[in-house]
Amino acid sequence: MEFTGFPFLTAILLTCVAGLFVILAIPAAHKAWIKWVSAAFSGITLLLSIYLFFAYDKGQGGLQFVEKYRWVASIGITYLNAADGFNLPMLLLTGIVFFTGVLTMWELDYRVKEFFALYFLLVSGVFGLFMSMDLFFIFVWYDVSLFPMYLLIAIWGSTRKEYGAMKLTLYLLAGSALILPAIVYLFVQAGLNTFDVTLLMRPGTFSPFEQKFAFIFLFIGFGILAAVWPFHTWSPVGHVAAPTPVSMVHAGVLMKIGAFGVLRVGIFLCPEGWQYWAPLMAVLAAIGIVYGAFVGLSQTDLKYCIGYSSVSHMGIVGLGLATVSVDGLNGALFQMFAHGIMTALFFSAIGYIYDRTHTKMIDELGGLSRIMPVASTYFIVAALAGIGVPGLASFWGELMVFIAAFKTYPLWGTLAVCALVISALFMLRVVQRTFYGPKNEKYEHIPDVSFGLGLPRMILLSVLVIFGLFPWLMFDMIETASIPFMNGLPR
Amino acid sequence: MKWVLFYPELYYFAAGMIFLFMSLAKQNNPRRDYLIALFLAVLGVVICLASIRQDGLLFFQAYRVDLFSQVFKVLLSLGLFLIISICANLNGVAERYHAEFYLLLFVCTLAMMLLVSCVHILSIYVALELSSYSLYILVALRRDEQIGLEAGLKYFLVGIFASAVMLFGVALLYSTMQATYLTEMIRVLPGLMDTPAVVIGLLLTLCGFFFKLAVFPFHFWAPDVYQGAANQVTAYIATASKVAAVAILTRMVAVSGDGSAYLVHVLVTLAIVSMTVGNLAAIVQKDFKRLLAYSTVAHAGYVLIGILSMNWAGYMSAIFYVTALLIMKFTVFMVIVKVADDGRNLDVSHLAGLYRRSPLLAMALMVSIFSLAGIPPTIGFTGKFLVFIAALEKGYFALVLIAMINVVISLYYYLMILKAAYLMEPEKVQPEIQLSIPSKILTGALVAVMVVVGIYPHHLIELTRAAAKLLI
Repeated sequence: MEFTGFPFLTAILLTCVAGLFVILAIPAAHKAWIKWVSAAFSGITLLLSIYLFFAYDKGQGGLQFVEKYRWVASIGITYLNAADGFNLPMLLLTGIVFFTGVLTMWELDYRVKEFFALYFLLVSGVFGLFMSMDLFFIFVWYDVSLFPMYLLIAIWGSTRKEYGAMKLTLYLLAGSALILPAIVYLFVQAGLNTFDVTLLMRPGTFSPFEQKFAFIFLFIGFGILAAVWPFHTWSPVGHVAAPTPVSMVHAGVLMKIGAFGVLRVGIFLCPEGWQYWAPLMAVLAAIGIVYGAFVGLSQTDLKYCIGYSSVSHMGIVGLGLATVSVDGLNGALFQMFAHGIMTALFFSAIGYIYDRTHTKMIDELGGLSRIMPVASTYFIVAALAGIGVPGLASFWGELMVFIAAFKTYPLWGTLAVCALVISALFMLRVVQRTFYGPKNEKYEHIPDVSFGLGLPRMILLSVLVIFGLFPWLMFDMIETASIPFMNGLPR
Repeated sequence: MKWVLFYPELYYFAAGMIFLFMSLAKQNNPRRDYLIALFLAVLGVVICLASIRQDGLLFFQAYRVDLFSQVFKVLLSLGLFLIISICANLNGVAERYHAEFYLLLFVCTLAMMLLVSCVHILSIYVALELSSYSLYILVALRRDEQIGLEAGLKYFLVGIFASAVMLFGVALLYSTMQATYLTEMIRVLPGLMDTPAVVIGLLLTLCGFFFKLAVFPFHFWAPDVYQGAANQVTAYIATASKVAAVAILTRMVAVSGDGSAYLVHVLVTLAIVSMTVGNLAAIVQKDFKRLLAYSTVAHAGYVLIGILSMNWAGYMSAIFYVTALLIMKFTVFMVIVKVADDGRNLDVSHLAGLYRRSPLLAMALMVSIFSLAGIPPTIGFTGKFLVFIAALEKGYFALVLIAMINVVISLYYYLMILKAAYLMEPEKVQPEIQLSIPSKILTGALVAVMVVVGIYPHHLIELTRAAAKLLI
């Protein structure tokens, strides 16, 4: 057993699990209690993740807050949590989206207890995956974060919810069907009888062939969750069907799990496989960027629009990973964070509009900015972030990725930048039709968003602005991991 | 001769005798029968646990008591106890047969305990037949005689066919090796694995066990029998009987040492076909027990992957997997018995509104369904994980991939069950399901075991490792 100081990472995880049990213990009739308890526990995880983000010693770098415990010695499973420059931004993102998601769902009235119980279960999996450094646990958390989705979408969702839920679950678990054999394959081939990533990632553990072989399974398996084209079709359908906070967690955090999995398992363990398959990754990512933007252009449902813009934006993450460079990694990680916050804001804003108007069809809305100016602002800011306006967080992520992409893949880089213009067009079109133009008299009486309900959106918006104005906060963090990692690669 | 080694078997024999005499009584008293059976079953678990460290040979070396057999005896006694614990309202069987029902359950458990300890091919055969015949009658005991008899007859016909094939295999093996003791075979057999007669003989012998485990192509009885038998009997076939089948199958395959390419190819094919056929057929089922029958066929395929790896990790994973199967399948059947309290057959759609009628049962169903589907953090996932490690140590990557694809297919129908329990509303409002305090505790304990052992399998892995070591 090996602990350095207070186990903050486990504390985050245990807070989630404790929250789950407390919620289960409260009788279902006490809905207000359940919400307050959820807010309290998710608030604690947010505070812990903020603390970790700033307590991490950037000068020293490397793995910090390490918690190691021999779990099942005979087959080499270790309970190993650690924080580094790659996962701290993700933990922070999860904390923010988790907390704001609970607040967004404050008005829920149908099967409240079960909703929050499943929501906590899902987020425990997400936290666990981001902090774990052991392949067994990474896989366990991966699935823990997926299977509550089925019930969450199928019970509380909208628009073809059962179809969406089934499609999403089967797609994502098909991804895990590729991941598990690859993980076990790597475990067996290494012959070290350990699932510990830090030991397996030492150079020379795997032959080039093994790396290439395993990487493609890991890339596609995790890539399905990151909505890599052509495995993205579950994503818009799932987004549309899911209830608001689940869309937030789903687009905001779950899709990042996919990209993070490619990084933590695929790229960490099979760097040569990564370099070998990078051109393929770049092509798929570029197609995703262009395709997402074009399909988004023709959508009439607000949530579908955001769903396809997510495909496009996750393509940028993929392109960043495919460049095999420090800038690319930095940009990809930053984009993951920024996109997470941005889509959470998107879905949160749409959630309010949908709760009040009971429609998310662009044609039926219109002129909303005069009816609910504050609520509209949230959406419009998110849209601006989606376009990549400087001053908002996602600008930096996209910028770094495109700089790196131009160096490595001039053709795909150019194509992707052109697609950005289209995505700007489609975002502005959505904003124009929904929030400006003639207003729909039907919705005139709807009040603007109250302070309490506006709070989660406000938090998300401020995070976008803060990291837009001070990107070094994030870049300094990511570089503590990306530079040593790239330097350690065999050339 | 040390009788202490034989105590568990003697105990179950005596318990069976008690019910034999009780069945002679003129008056029926189901409540009394149930309580006595429950008490005897609990005592049986205690006795089996107490004798887990026994070690030795009996009856001219034909009967071996070691950790391997004792672990399985504990599992079997546990299985019997669990099944009897859900017999409080045994409405699927006519009241006048209750004593016979318990008699047969105890005798069948006794036979399976003999089976896991036998190391002589003829005593294996006798034990196998004893357990099968008890089950044939148990299936036919269904209150609705027509359904029960049809199922029982089907089971019987496929069963005797399988045992005829098995006897032929045994004859072939004997003709080439002149050995009947497994301990002798294990010395001779690995050298003869290229002889066609030996490979065929071994495969035909295994057919008898494939029948028990419901491996393709010996699975045809499963759907009809599962559907036709009383719910508790089906539960027993799906849990305890599978435990015994895996035990003896593992022991027989281990005899062949590293095996031969032919043998492995056949087993690989059977595993793949079992998984695929089972899962695909399960998708279209409406009757819950029928669906579970096909899912059992699929699970037989997964277990077979562990066994055909023919390494120590593989045998260990098979033992682990069947332990997991015992717990998760039983939990599902417990939900069936509680929901269908009048002993009727249950359609999947009859689960509608379960989350409101009994949140606890709905949760137990959810966890066990996810466990059956092999989703972490449950014991079913850990079982699959170990199986896959064993298979990949032998380099069967494609096999593991196919198994995982099957997991995704199976997820579809498992999610349908979940959808019925959590999403669908019943056509007319149904009363809440009242659970007694002991049933609540049992349900909670099962859920806890499935999750905790799934996350922290250390102790179970150590136990199964020690048991599997004795095979090689």
